[in-house]
Amino acid sequence: MKRIIGTSLACAGLLTATACGGSDSGDKADGPVTVTVMTWESPETNTAIKKALEGFKDDQIKVQLIDTPSGGYGDKLASLTQAKKLPDLFWCGNDTEQQYTSQGLLVDWSKKIEGGDGDFTADKFVGSAMENWKTGDGQMGGLPSLMNTYGVWYNADAFKAAGIPEPKAGWSWDDMYSAAGKLANKGGVKYGLVADQLTGADGPFTMSMYSVSADGAPFTDNVNHPTKAEIDGKYTEGVEKLAAAIKSGAVAPPGYDASNVPALFSGGKVPMMFGGQWLAAGFQTDKPKIKYGFAPFPQVNKPTTLYDSVGICTPQYTADEDATYKVLEYINTKVWDAVLPAAPVAPPAYTPAQESYFNALTKAGQNTVVDTVKADLAAEKTVGVRFTTQWASQVVDLTTAYWQPILNGKKPTSDLQTYVGKINDLIKSQG
Amino acid sequence: MNRDGRRRADRAGKGGRGLSRNAGSDVKAAYLFISPAIIGFTVFVVYPLVRSFYLALTKYNGLSDPVFVGLGNFRRLFTVDPAFWPSLRATGYLVLLYVPLSLAIGLALAVFCNQRFAGVRIVRTLAYLPVVLPAVATITLWKFILNPQVGLANTILAKLHLPTSDWLQSPAMSMPSIVIVMLWGVGGTMIIFLAALQAVPNELYEAARVDGAGPYSVFFRITLPMISPIMLLQVILQTTAALQTFNQPKILTNGGPGFSTNVLMLSIYNNGFSNLGRIPQLGYASAQVWVLFIVIIAVIALTAKFSSLWTYSDNTPD
Amino acid sequence: MTALFICSVMVVPLLWMITIGLKSGTAVFEVPPRLLPREFQWSNFVNGPEAIRFPRLLLNSTIITLLSVLGGVMTAMMAGYALARLRFPGRKVWFYLFVGSMLLPGVVGLIPLFQLYKSIGWYDTWLPLIVPAFFGGNPLFIFLARQYFMAIPYSIDEAAKIDGAGHLRIFVSVMLPLTRPAWITMAILAFQASWNDFLNPLVYLYSADKWPLSVGMAQFVSPFAGQTPNWSYYMATNLLYMLPPLIIFFAAQRYFIQGLGSLGSTTQK
Repeated sequence: MKRIIGTSLACAGLLTATACGGSDSGDKADGPVTVTVMTWESPETNTAIKKALEGFKDDQIKVQLIDTPSGGYGDKLASLTQAKKLPDLFWCGNDTEQQYTSQGLLVDWSKKIEGGDGDFTADKFVGSAMENWKTGDGQMGGLPSLMNTYGVWYNADAFKAAGIPEPKAGWSWDDMYSAAGKLANKGGVKYGLVADQLTGADGPFTMSMYSVSADGAPFTDNVNHPTKAEIDGKYTEGVEKLAAAIKSGAVAPPGYDASNVPALFSGGKVPMMFGGQWLAAGFQTDKPKIKYGFAPFPQVNKPTTLYDSVGICTPQYTADEDATYKVLEYINTKVWDAVLPAAPVAPPAYTPAQESYFNALTKAGQNTVVDTVKADLAAEKTVGVRFTTQWASQVVDLTTAYWQPILNGKKPTSDLQTYVGKINDLIKSQG
Repeated sequence: MNRDGRRRADRAGKGGRGLSRNAGSDVKAAYLFISPAIIGFTVFVVYPLVRSFYLALTKYNGLSDPVFVGLGNFRRLFTVDPAFWPSLRATGYLVLLYVPLSLAIGLALAVFCNQRFAGVRIVRTLAYLPVVLPAVATITLWKFILNPQVGLANTILAKLHLPTSDWLQSPAMSMPSIVIVMLWGVGGTMIIFLAALQAVPNELYEAARVDGAGPYSVFFRITLPMISPIMLLQVILQTTAALQTFNQPKILTNGGPGFSTNVLMLSIYNNGFSNLGRIPQLGYASAQVWVLFIVIIAVIALTAKFSSLWTYSDNTPD
Repeated sequence: MTALFICSVMVVPLLWMITIGLKSGTAVFEVPPRLLPREFQWSNFVNGPEAIRFPRLLLNSTIITLLSVLGGVMTAMMAGYALARLRFPGRKVWFYLFVGSMLLPGVVGLIPLFQLYKSIGWYDTWLPLIVPAFFGGNPLFIFLARQYFMAIPYSIDEAAKIDGAGHLRIFVSVMLPLTRPAWITMAILAFQASWNDFLNPLVYLYSADKWPLSVGMAQFVSPFAGQTPNWSYYMATNLLYMLPPLIIFFAAQRYFIQGLGSLGSTTQK
């Protein structure tokens, strides 16, 4: 018995030592600097990125891609931030970048990119992306890397079978709702449209498209540094149409679990779904049985779309800023050319690199995607996807308390003004 | 072998062998044996209590120092936060549904398995089986079973021509669905009740039979009172556990739809361990923790206070 | 009849799990779902675990669990022995304190302990998962141990002392074998608690290669960027994840029922 205890304690000591020692060893030697990179891409895309990074030739710099399970990225990021062990370059959303920069956690690249050398300058990036990545005082805690465009994925076969014209640029919200109504409850399909973006936490922002397109006021003036939130007559009209469509069973209600929807869409069980252009990459590998297409969002008067971009950030305590910047430049310029053809996830924010993305899509026959993404990038009217402020999570709670019951018909639409009032209180008190 | 050798010599020095119960060495040994537990108590019970109370009065994001805000967190909790009262409601609903059902079903199963018939061992084992399995594994399995489109539950209901449900995605059924998943593990309660039932002396049953008592009489007049101390223990344990439920809501619904399943533990986790680059609000989460803590203490105190009314004990208190 | 119903309710979900584990990815989403897969994709049992690096996670889980069980049982038995059989001042007080701490919700400790571990550098190590067990981490076990020890007559103690045994010797050679159901039960409960623990590793570990199975499994079902989880891989791996606790339970069933029984009967004392 004692011997067992003795050996186990010894093993414990040994193992915990290894478990402790593990991730800590940084190369502080005089040799090459290691720049660590962490992404949230799928394992296949990560493999492609790893391969592309091998093309980075520099004697003084070694690049290392850290493994991340794509699902646990959020938890992992939060943990690493708390432990002050963030990798030198990590994929981040605009909200992360805004919040972390304002807390002084990230390196400020704004001078480097504006006074950049050669082709890697601020004006070669998509303008709105650059603007949105600046904080109130002009700092940039990261650089945008990929643009996110959104639209409506539709099942072309289902539309043909029901005799409805396919969605395309210029179609109206009424077209969309009526199509959803016609396609619902037929042949194993329950809802004609699953629009998690309209019914979920980001719903109020997505609905902003309606009012802006109808020449009304946007939900908020700026998602990064809002001064007010507003709901006008046109916006309320949009909400009422959605609530009616939900009531009639054409559109999935708030609370519908959207995690399985891409698979259901591929199987022909969901005729229309709101989604981002990145699903194209997944469809290319999974090869759905149905013929599908990607259309821009419907409009009222003018084409309006959601706009979003993701990027790459660097923590303050990075070992070597210049080395990190070099790798960052390489990723934004060269890596996408190598990765996107096999996995066309998104158009790069760095315009010269966008060619390879569009070519890859056209080659794979995803022409509707190409058209829609190009149209979205060129759209004159855009609205932000969600607040990126420190107190944004409190808005999510308010949305659950008001927006969702209103859509379900449990609260009257007049409550929208109460909702907006509370958000304005938050803005004033800065959380 | 060194340690007890030394002790033997010690004893020998102190006045000969054969002298048991040397008070001094007893105390020393006792504290030696108990010291890990004492250290644990201080570090893992006292320290968190004190520290979390302090944090509840601050605004703290884990990276910079805490900022004292007095009762500001509590004010926000009770007046401004739209999620707090719904979370209390959700937690209360869960406890009200789960605790009575789990006790009743556990007891019923125990009574059933207390009989002697062929295969009772198998039934008992199978009933306990879900408890042995890892929670994450079973909970995600149930998430899939309750999927409205492709899950087993609706498939079977449809085959039997019974109404189907949206289960976890329907605001009305989401909490009952979670309770159903939790009840699948009722085998744990069953085993403890079974042991209690088996400890009831047989003479009582025989005497009752001689007096001509029927099965209901026996159950309510003899069995229940005899196991009432265990019942009390179970009520307390199950209620405190139910108040702290986290795994099921987190994995099955993550609080939705709406706030219907956003129990307090989940709210605490979401505020304290924020996700996807959001800044955590540890002070606020600590305030919520203390609210939960006080609720638990209140429940236990109330239950214990009223216990003497309905529990039976024929022995002197410890 | 009732027996059949009970058995099926308990077992059918598991059978369903096996079925999904054998289906191919797209077949899982067929509407209406078929109860038996059309083709048996045994490769799921290989590919699924591979996708989350099962062997490494299995090793992690095993090490963490074995160490926690060792620590938990050892300290609880030691504390229970002292509380039950040794006379020392404060013995009642300490007992009530320990049992009272059972009522402390684990959640109160979550945030302060997280900060504590961070400040002493134990973040992203297994220490926060193992060390508390070595310090009487589970008061229920202490309660159980004490109950069992109290049932042993003092005459055995006396006899051993006359033979010249010190406390440690008595504890190891005499008490432990006598209380076998107790510590086997504790070991099984501790094993389950550690093997299934999800929240603690989730909070304290961020390196993927340090994760135990419980957290590793969750990778399957948190889809990102709109990718649907691969349910067939998940269920296949799930089955493998469930096997160790299942095997241990079947092997030690007898002691387990006996041990838990003490919880039921001795409280009536």
